[in-house]
Amino acid sequence: MAKYMLKRILHAAITLCVVICIVFALLRQMPIEGYFNNFDKMTEASIQVSLNKMGLNDPLPVQILHYFGQLLKGDLGVSNRYRQGYPIVKIIAQKAPISIKLGLISLAVSLAVGLPLGILMARSTRTRWKLWDKFGTVFIVIVQAVPSAVYHLLIQLYGSEILGVSMLFNDRNPMTWVLPVFSLSIGNIAYYAMWLRRYMVDESNKDYIRLARAKGVPAGKISRSHVFRNAIVPLVQYIPQSILFTLMGSLYVESLYSIPGMGGLLIQVIKLQDNTMVQALVLIYAAVSVLGLLFGDLMMALVDPRISFTGKEGAR
Amino acid sequence: MDQQQVLLSVQDLNFKFTLRGQVLHALRGISLDVYKGESLAIVGESGSGKSVFVKCLMGLNDANGCVESGKILYDGKDLAQFKSDAEWRALRGHRIAMVLQDPMTSLNPLKTIGWQIREAVELHQNLHGDAAKKAVYEILAEVGISDPQRRYNQYPHEFSGGMRQRVVIAIAMACKPEILICDEPTTALDVTIQAQILGLIKEMQKKYDLTTIYITHDLGVVANVADRIAVMYAGDIVEVGRCEEVFYDPRHPYTWALLSSLPQLGVKGEPLYSIEGTPPNLFHEVRGDAFAPRNPHALKMDFVKRPPMFTVTATHAARTWLLDPRAPKIDPPEHIRALREKGRQLGLTKGEECANG
Repeated sequence: MAKYMLKRILHAAITLCVVICIVFALLRQMPIEGYFNNFDKMTEASIQVSLNKMGLNDPLPVQILHYFGQLLKGDLGVSNRYRQGYPIVKIIAQKAPISIKLGLISLAVSLAVGLPLGILMARSTRTRWKLWDKFGTVFIVIVQAVPSAVYHLLIQLYGSEILGVSMLFNDRNPMTWVLPVFSLSIGNIAYYAMWLRRYMVDESNKDYIRLARAKGVPAGKISRSHVFRNAIVPLVQYIPQSILFTLMGSLYVESLYSIPGMGGLLIQVIKLQDNTMVQALVLIYAAVSVLGLLFGDLMMALVDPRISFTGKEGAR
Repeated sequence: MDQQQVLLSVQDLNFKFTLRGQVLHALRGISLDVYKGESLAIVGESGSGKSVFVKCLMGLNDANGCVESGKILYDGKDLAQFKSDAEWRALRGHRIAMVLQDPMTSLNPLKTIGWQIREAVELHQNLHGDAAKKAVYEILAEVGISDPQRRYNQYPHEFSGGMRQRVVIAIAMACKPEILICDEPTTALDVTIQAQILGLIKEMQKKYDLTTIYITHDLGVVANVADRIAVMYAGDIVEVGRCEEVFYDPRHPYTWALLSSLPQLGVKGEPLYSIEGTPPNLFHEVRGDAFAPRNPHALKMDFVKRPPMFTVTATHAARTWLLDPRAPKIDPPEHIRALREKGRQLGLTKGEECANG
């Protein structure tokens, strides 16, 4: 097990280094005005002086090594156009907490609603009218089929009317958090419910469930420690990714409620051609995906004893 | 035979499934007695209702099926009347346990072997903590798994197919049942392991005074383990008798056909016998003898009226009009006549001339 985990972590680290190199090398191909706020008014000489000062005239490998050194110290560099001379870490530190807070709340909500809904749906497939299953399927199909922009708008429009709160987000008024959280979690609720139901129905038709029933295990316990336990395995891999991605904020929902989060930041800095900011944000997004996959794999290995054996050892 | 104690008695059991508004008549009036301590084998081709029948005994059929009429008498109760899960749970495992066909899929892949056996021990032997663990070690050793302490903490994927089937048997034994149902216990195993597993089940039967019901379509297994045989066709038992009676003196044309298709009876150089046609569609009502359309010896009567069970001996009965005194004399196929002759010589069956002999 430990060996498997170490191997996975090593793979992830290598992937991350390669990604950093590629992003760095690509951004060096961008026009150099992206490093200056007032490029048009600068003389050729002063541009060269600044470039030398920033180390941008060094050979590429030297620059990359330098950048890795910076990263190890937790320094992402400074912004040049978005907020000139301001450390990028500080810019992110101001915006991230709100996205993280909303992301975590909405994730908790989607797990707390999505998983029970999936269980109810799966269990109701064995009943006569399958009411929960039908209700849940309608909900899932609507959420999956209707473009999210449409229901986000509807939620904002009618939700604010029903709750009697402002359409816009206000950090100090918790009531205004309700609608964005709802908007952020509704997709995940449908996702978790759909897959959990599907895996649970799959599992409950398996032979070992029949054997457990033949053993005389009560239905509730079969559902919990046999069906659910096995059905959650494939979902576990997805959960870390979705945690990390909700932390990155949602562009659409954040702009809809004008939440000062991470959501639109990347697009904003791309428009501004702020090279160092783009570089830093792309790196963060890449790191988040790599970490999400890594944690997904590690959690799978924790919940499924077969995983760490899938190497050369195999089953006897 | 008749002084033997009837343990479980099924009387005229009808079982139906509802599938997308259509009704499938899976069991059509089955009657069968199971005697205490015997090994009964239920044979028949796929879809003949063998599995549905034994699942009825444990209430394990899917929710879209229900007992329409008939009785399953066991231990003073009529299982056909059972509705709730709680009623069945008093019986499942505790009185009747089951070994499933495929050991590769019948264990939970995420739980250790020990956990899965222990679950049964805790439910049925009312042991907990270290006592339960000790009981699991004992059972593991009993079914021939060495080094139980280490094996306890291993997962199913660390066991081979034969070893897993031993674990499944261990789970059944942990329940301390009275009846053990083996649903094709060796079909998924290779031949060398088959004999071991059958031997193990026999050993357990002797040790715990079990009554076993085998489901199989492997007549080799039947000959190896069974005291009595019930032949099923299209949701009905067409012939039932002691092992040697059914093998050496079969009376139903379906049993003839089944035995004729045994490769062991084939003549070298000639193609193997196979039964023409397919079993009837049980979504439709079956008229007369269900086997009649595939039966080259079918009588006119077979298409009109369903034959009753005719008694051949006290232990042997078959559901065919051929046994009616009015029926014309029809010679069974050559293979069967040879078998009958052999049985007579071996003194396994009585040499009496019968209505259709």
